[in-house]
Amino acid sequence: MPKYIVFMRSQSSKGPSGSNSPPSPEQMQQMFASYKAWMGKFKDQITDLGDKLKPGGRVVSATADGPFVESKEVIGGYMIITADGFDEAVEVVRACPAAQMPGAQLEVRELSGAKM
Amino acid sequence: MSAAQQVVEQAFRHEYARLVAVLVRRAGLPQLEAVEDAAQAALLAALTDWARNGIPDDRGAWLYRVALNHLLGEWRRPALPGDPLAAVAADPAEPFFEAEVGDEQLRMIFVACDERLPQESRLAFALKTLCGFSTGEIAARLFTTEANVYKRLARAKERLREGDFDAQTPALESLRVRLPSVHAVLYVLFNEGFLSTHTEHAIREELCDEAIRLTTGLASHPVGAEPATFALLALMHLHAARLASRQDASGGLLLLEEQDRSRWDAGHLREGATWLERAGTGDVVSRFHLEAAIAGEHSFAPSFAQTRWGEIAGLYALLERLEPSPLYVLNRAVALAEAEGPQAGLDALQGVVPPTWLEGHYVWDAVLADLHRRAGHGELAMHHCSLALSGAPSEAMRRALRRRLRV
Repeated sequence: MPKYIVFMRSQSSKGPSGSNSPPSPEQMQQMFASYKAWMGKFKDQITDLGDKLKPGGRVVSATADGPFVESKEVIGGYMIITADGFDEAVEVVRACPAAQMPGAQLEVRELSGAKM
Repeated sequence: MSAAQQVVEQAFRHEYARLVAVLVRRAGLPQLEAVEDAAQAALLAALTDWARNGIPDDRGAWLYRVALNHLLGEWRRPALPGDPLAAVAADPAEPFFEAEVGDEQLRMIFVACDERLPQESRLAFALKTLCGFSTGEIAARLFTTEANVYKRLARAKERLREGDFDAQTPALESLRVRLPSVHAVLYVLFNEGFLSTHTEHAIREELCDEAIRLTTGLASHPVGAEPATFALLALMHLHAARLASRQDASGGLLLLEEQDRSRWDAGHLREGATWLERAGTGDVVSRFHLEAAIAGEHSFAPSFAQTRWGEIAGLYALLERLEPSPLYVLNRAVALAEAEGPQAGLDALQGVVPPTWLEGHYVWDAVLADLHRRAGHGELAMHHCSLALSGAPSEAMRRALRRRLRV
């Protein structure tokens, strides 16, 4: 079955430097510890930057679907799902809590599968 | 290239890249060589004019006008149908709005990383065209010869002249497949600053800042905003935090264990930690995630002695799994030597045959000299020591090596 990558975008353009308050040294230690913990969880899934994306895709937003994404938005994260075609992928994404957030846009792209 | 030209290129590297990006966007990629000449000419003109008349308020606009005039002058000949320069002449407006220039440079990077260019040419080409590196500087960073870099550049330009390349039209979004190639270019650009062959601190800092600026642009644009980009950016900030403390008061290079950790840049460390947090999402660990973790181990260790060398050795082992490279083996050996003693480091290198590009490179000999010295193998240590010193790219590096190797 084809795999799809879903980019989760948000309207916020807040970069790290724009975040609320600069982390303290203790917080930085904590942030690094969480990062290492995350890595420990996925260290068997090391890949060199994932898969190529096929051109084109569909965008699912809280209001309407469309092919375009505003360039001011920032991808907050992504997930990879398996689905039987774009329609099913879009359905899965619609059910995702992240798609219900105000201002959220999720972009669904099919992976070419070249590396799988 | 003359020495004067080289000085100009280094001092105005930033402007050069901006000029090339903006003019190529207008004139088209097939005109690249003319654009490069025009950018070079504008920078040379600046050297004499600014010395006489003072530096203009908007340096970018001044350079753009001069470069454009040069470009048009060079091409003032019976116009051919579809002359791409006609478009430039018809619309000579100055595009020096930060946002547009930022986009043009981002686009230019993606163009340079076109998968139709031979892979080994992409990096050399991007470093030359986007960053204004000389062939010598590129050769040192890519562990190859100047002649080889020259060949790679020639091949890239040959492909670009074939015509169907896309400097003008593609939406950035459609260029996303080139992201890994773009990451590699930004990574090398940063390392050129961080591990530089330049002796001038200011130039190295400029390269690091440039790489961080471009990568931040990439991370803030939908086309590049993904965890691997965030990890790359975290990696850069964590390394950059140590940049200033790598030099002593007289400009000599300081070894990691000699550095005053209180001088590490708190701003870069905070940015690094925050980007790490954003990088730690998804379920894919990239090479940059691993390298950022290594940088984090150094950055967040309370002291050299308290560094978790075992963790670092493990991270290098993971990197080797991802992309077998003798440089990773070498780094793992260094970490193992700190964690378990010099013999453990030598054992890790046992049976590793360095490829020709690494054998005879000073890094390889410097590590072997250090490990043999600490393991008490005097003769072998001296042998590699003299090789390392003769291969070191700068006097500052040679002095640091002498201290480390106690010679």
